[in-house]
Amino acid sequence: MNQKKILLVDDDPDQRLTLRLPLESAGYEIFEAKSSKEGLEMVEKIRPDLIVLDVMMDTATAGFQLALELHSPDPNSAYKEFSKVPIIMLTAIHSTTPLRFKPDEDYLPVQTFIEKPVDPDVLLTKVRDFIGE
Amino acid sequence: MTGLSSPSDLSAQLSSSTDHPTRTLVEAELVSSVAWLIHLRWFAGAGVILATWIAENVFGLDAAEKPLYVIGAGILVYNLIFHLIERRLTQNDAPSQSYERLAKWQVILDWIAMILLIQFSGGIESPVILFFIFHIIIASFFFSRSLAIAFALTAIGLVAGIAFLEYFNIIQHRPIGGLLETPFYQNAKYVAAYLFFFAFTAVVSAYLGSTINDRLRKREIEIVNLSEDLHRATIRLQALNNNARAVSSTLDLKQVLNRLVSTTALAMQVRACTIRLLDSTGRNLEPVAVYGLSETYLKKGPIDALTNLLAREVLSGKVVNIPDALESPLLQYPEEAKQEGIRSMISAPLTGKDGAFGILRAYAVEVNRFSQEDKEFFEAIAAQGSIAVENALSYKAIEELDQTKSQFIRTITHELRSPVAVTQSLLRTLVSGFAGQVTDQQMDILKRAAHRVEFLQKLIDDLLDLATGKANVEALKQREPVGLKSTLQKVVERFNVSAHEKSIRLEQIYPESPEEFIVMASPDGIDRIFNNLVANAIKYTPSGGEVSTRIESVDSEAIITISDTGIGIPQESMPHLFEEFYRAPNAKEMEREGTGLGLTIVKDLINRYSGRIAVQSEENRGTKFIVSFALYKGTREVSK
Repeated sequence: MNQKKILLVDDDPDQRLTLRLPLESAGYEIFEAKSSKEGLEMVEKIRPDLIVLDVMMDTATAGFQLALELHSPDPNSAYKEFSKVPIIMLTAIHSTTPLRFKPDEDYLPVQTFIEKPVDPDVLLTKVRDFIGE
Repeated sequence: MTGLSSPSDLSAQLSSSTDHPTRTLVEAELVSSVAWLIHLRWFAGAGVILATWIAENVFGLDAAEKPLYVIGAGILVYNLIFHLIERRLTQNDAPSQSYERLAKWQVILDWIAMILLIQFSGGIESPVILFFIFHIIIASFFFSRSLAIAFALTAIGLVAGIAFLEYFNIIQHRPIGGLLETPFYQNAKYVAAYLFFFAFTAVVSAYLGSTINDRLRKREIEIVNLSEDLHRATIRLQALNNNARAVSSTLDLKQVLNRLVSTTALAMQVRACTIRLLDSTGRNLEPVAVYGLSETYLKKGPIDALTNLLAREVLSGKVVNIPDALESPLLQYPEEAKQEGIRSMISAPLTGKDGAFGILRAYAVEVNRFSQEDKEFFEAIAAQGSIAVENALSYKAIEELDQTKSQFIRTITHELRSPVAVTQSLLRTLVSGFAGQVTDQQMDILKRAAHRVEFLQKLIDDLLDLATGKANVEALKQREPVGLKSTLQKVVERFNVSAHEKSIRLEQIYPESPEEFIVMASPDGIDRIFNNLVANAIKYTPSGGEVSTRIESVDSEAIITISDTGIGIPQESMPHLFEEFYRAPNAKEMEREGTGLGLTIVKDLINRYSGRIAVQSEENRGTKFIVSFALYKGTREVSK
């Protein structure tokens, strides 16, 4: 069985490291992107099984936009074939903006949230829930 | 027609509607008429003497010259007395009643002279009789219509009396010899006809004269009243305008309140004015600004907004006029008001968007001082004052809130410091290997963590700086002379190593003179300003670039320029440059780390020292910060 591929999209190198280490030790193959743009390119290139996505990058909602693009219900979407790739969103947004986000099929097509700071055990549990070992 | 034509009625009416001490138009006319009559009488007296002489010596008539000369001289003598009295009245600025008395005496003496003149120039045959008509008309100008007609009837009676007495030879007939060929004083029918027409003319003259005079006076009163209304309206508008300017030119609450009470007292032309504001309980009305009242009166006792009748009435939104402090059931402290010498007062609510928050009150020493017009004017002042006071109150609340917020930030940042510092120490212990060997990867993670905590430390320090400045207003006022040149040199030196590492050339441009460029500031603050600007310049300038610092003096200002050949600031970021936590996108891209507080602190410090900062920048070409301060001209010792 092939190693499962996970794409980490986060502009903070330290944050990427804290995601990479536990996931790698659990046997996943890890790829990194520093921005939404780079993230989209990587999705096409490596065809990940799961994406871990930071909300706030170059803009406060860059992560949301990336998620919307990938999971667009539009049948002509350029990323149609990736619309089923699960996305875990990293967020500390609860504490810095008054907005409240919930996973919502229509509005925000991500599968789940993980609050920063990231607990490696929580991360691994959620990843396994979606794509298995 | 009402009997308005007496000057005393007029002056009484006019002076009741005004309280300035100058004469009304009507009174002024009376005063000048008295002088004018005295002036004319010199000619009358001289005229009698001259006419007698001419009749005697030119026309050869035979008149009773001696009595006529005596009458002429008598006129001159009493006129001299009138003249002297009039001069004294003018010098003493006497009331118009004195002038009126003088006018009456003039009429009485003139008429005595007149009747004597007639008697000694032929009685009913005398040509001088026609002069009586003048006197009747003059009297009708001065006195009321009934008095004028009474004077006319008196004249008729006098003339008829002479005719009667001469007709029956009771008094001697003294004709002017050679004037009439056939005397008619014994001709009863002629005398009767003569008297009838004389009487008719006299009464009609008196009636017409006083009627015309009456109308003119009424018009004049209207004009005077109108012009006085206008005058008052102008004064009030000016006062209102002055008030508005005085109270809205500042946001300092104490100043607004003090200006409001003093300008209101002046505008209302009253002795005193106070402002009471509801305290935080909403129950007690505390005096916050006072003009013209004694301490004793102010300490008369508390005013409870719920039980004090007057306060309740006013706070419900009404303007309340108390015409007599001793009689009003609304007043809580009438005795104290009496002792203070206050007899009437007017109160208006100070009203904000949440209802009345205080009371503006004016105090006068007179009973019934405030008219309806005053009431409306006072209401306007209070409405205008309310806005100014409310603005100042809001501003004060915001300032307090800002200070509280800054104090809060200060406290929490202070609390954050120690755990952060301890975490840093712990990480350093690990990195230095004092807790045993770590793998390369572990070392990498530890170093990353240490670096992040270091950044956190810096963020906390910056926040603390910013909050301290805002929370500690007293500290801002402590300034001393600081030398800009040596401070800037010291700062630039501090960055020599990091600039060298990045291959950035550091250039310093100062004038040849040993001038220090001294400003009033705090040495730490100036150091911080330069430090942040130079650090930014180096941070955002790529290798091989150049950072230059320059000081010069222009007029009485020191101009410090810190320029670089760095990445520049995008146009759209310019408006946000000094905002807390703002970082331009290209700055974030180039340097991940940055609190976004550096320039906020710079701006804050420059404001404290009353300086200015300007930025010029072009993306990818470089940035120039220009800071200016007023140069210190004093002689206090400089800290370097």
